[in-house]
Amino acid sequence: MKTPAKIALYGISILFLAGIAAAIYLYTKPQKDLQNTRATHFVTAEELQKEFSSDEKDASEKYLNKVIEVTGTLTNADISEGKAISIVLATQNDMSSVICNFRKPENPEKLRKDEKITIRGELSGFLMDVLLNNCIIVDNIRQE
Amino acid sequence: MKRVVPILAALFIFISADAQRYMTRTGYIGFYSHAPVEDIRADNNQVASILDTGTGEIVFQVLIRSFKFEKALMEEHFNENYLESDKFPRSHFTGKFKDPVDMSKPGKYEVTVEGELTLHNVKKQISVPGIIEVENGAVKASSKFNIAPEDYNITIPAIVRDNIAKIIEVTVKMNYTSSEDK
Repeated sequence: MKTPAKIALYGISILFLAGIAAAIYLYTKPQKDLQNTRATHFVTAEELQKEFSSDEKDASEKYLNKVIEVTGTLTNADISEGKAISIVLATQNDMSSVICNFRKPENPEKLRKDEKITIRGELSGFLMDVLLNNCIIVDNIRQE
Repeated sequence: MKRVVPILAALFIFISADAQRYMTRTGYIGFYSHAPVEDIRADNNQVASILDTGTGEIVFQVLIRSFKFEKALMEEHFNENYLESDKFPRSHFTGKFKDPVDMSKPGKYEVTVEGELTLHNVKKQISVPGIIEVENGAVKASSKFNIAPEDYNITIPAIVRDNIAKIIEVTVKMNYTSSEDK
């Protein structure tokens, strides 16, 4: 085979393989680790819950599917097999809180009841509580 | 956007206000699809549910976006293409035990729950088996049943037809607490 044809053949094969690699990467990509993602909003659990309970439509438009950081007092943790899969942040409303489900189950030692904690997560929506998913604990707790 | 949250709020008012009412906000519903090309699993740990052991009424509210998949792209397709969760963010089920069950004593009770499932804006009457476990003031409910996506106008494109099963297995696991506790 003549040299230019060989180069063209190799070139095309490499592009083809690169294309397949890209497709496999995209297809198997796991949930985003928010460690390196900047939040678009920074709120307290009280503020967030108030916005959703007073005008769900507006609050949804503002926050839905966005990465946000919420600071609140930890009142409850859902522990399964020794690890925390979610936590509840208190609001002024006893019947409606902010629930954060972790991307990866967390070590319960990191969680102290009745202490402030800051969570970064994706806002999924609102049922009886404001629901966040894919959450991580932000190590530097924001002071209000 | 249709406000479905009032259903749960209304039940709070109308269900008798005694220790027979149980609820959870972190209930589990998962589904499993077994297909030639791949198996798909998704987990939702933010299900809200109320169970009245006196009247045998049970309600579930599910946020579609709370279903978590291992692969981000799959979750995107699930939300954007199949369930259209921007248009229909929630699914809910309102039902009742077919036969009255006396759950005042601790134990395991096999039940059949009949009711209406709303998914992808389609309402369908379903009847599913379940087990209720009563022990020390806590109530657990579990169930496994099948649903067909096409019953709810969920269209799977031909190109991924072999990736997604025609029958999806749904697993429900609830740990209720008496609604007097918080």
